[in-house]
Amino acid sequence: MISVADLLMSDRLPANYYAHEVYVRGDLEMGLLESRRGDRLLALPQTLVQAMYTGLTKETGQASKLVLFNCGRWWGKNFYNRFQEELADYYDTPLSEMAMADFLQSLKQCWITYGWGKMDLDQSYHHRGFLVVQTWNSPFANQAPQTGLPVCFLEAGILAVFLGSYRAKNCTAFRRVVSQQMPTATDL
Amino acid sequence: MQSPIETVFDEAENRYLKTEELRSLGQYVVSLPERVSIYRILRDQELTLMQQVADQLQIQQPDAHPDRIERSLKHGILILRYCAMGMLLADEGFVQSRLLNWLSGVVQIHNTQAIDTATSALTIQVLSKALAPKQMALLEPFFALSQNTLSQTAPENHLTVAGIF
Repeated sequence: MISVADLLMSDRLPANYYAHEVYVRGDLEMGLLESRRGDRLLALPQTLVQAMYTGLTKETGQASKLVLFNCGRWWGKNFYNRFQEELADYYDTPLSEMAMADFLQSLKQCWITYGWGKMDLDQSYHHRGFLVVQTWNSPFANQAPQTGLPVCFLEAGILAVFLGSYRAKNCTAFRRVVSQQMPTATDL
Repeated sequence: MQSPIETVFDEAENRYLKTEELRSLGQYVVSLPERVSIYRILRDQELTLMQQVADQLQIQQPDAHPDRIERSLKHGILILRYCAMGMLLADEGFVQSRLLNWLSGVVQIHNTQAIDTATSALTIQVLSKALAPKQMALLEPFFALSQNTLSQTAPENHLTVAGIF
């Protein structure tokens, strides 16, 4: 028979770690934003995101997409390490042993709480070696120059490294844009 | 997110509260001792109540894998805890935004809608015996909200470990 007492880990039951009401804290008078663990959070103003695109395009021209992708890779590496630490602490178990559902739900919720929009994973093309990641309401895509060309290179870099680190295998990513939806396909 | 009670205090500089706002505030205050006593019952008897749910669930679903039953019970306990807090605050938004938006994804991935529905029905049944009808009336809307939200999750885009790797 199942004992309910055994289901609780020292009377607690981990749930939604990245619930934004709990996760984002701070002292407005000090100008500080912190996560629930006390790590510093950074707010990126719209002007800065726009300036990032303008500056990069001016400085590096066509290579700006590659630069953004590589910045994303760097960001993704640190993001993965932080994510891993936070979840391992919260669930009291290493990320490698965590249930896949908890991992995915945490990633989706984290994406929302960080203000990067909504994301969804689609495995329809699994048999061809693709995992399709769709994102909506991305602030990076919204502020990108509207040239009709693919955007989301920063996020593609983040996701490529993040999912690659999780699987301990390198993966590449490419992206395209369809109207307001910004699918990012991550090749695993 | 703000509870309906909190929003009442938002415009202190502009106006005094209207009669109906004062009335709803008064109703909340009057109901507060009852809410606290329900909360206390749930807090103290959580294990006993949920154990009853667990026992009945195993009888009702003899073929279900123990892991699925355990997972569903964990969902049930989380729902109970969040509903208890939501009831104390009289705030459905609390349950929705902190738990249900997240839990519906978990339920979808694990495809446990059917067993979760059974757990939820059993929890309500067990609670109805432990609480007076008047107390149950305060708690029920929160369970209805969770049942509605979780039953709407369609398992169409069912992710599996194999699918990702």
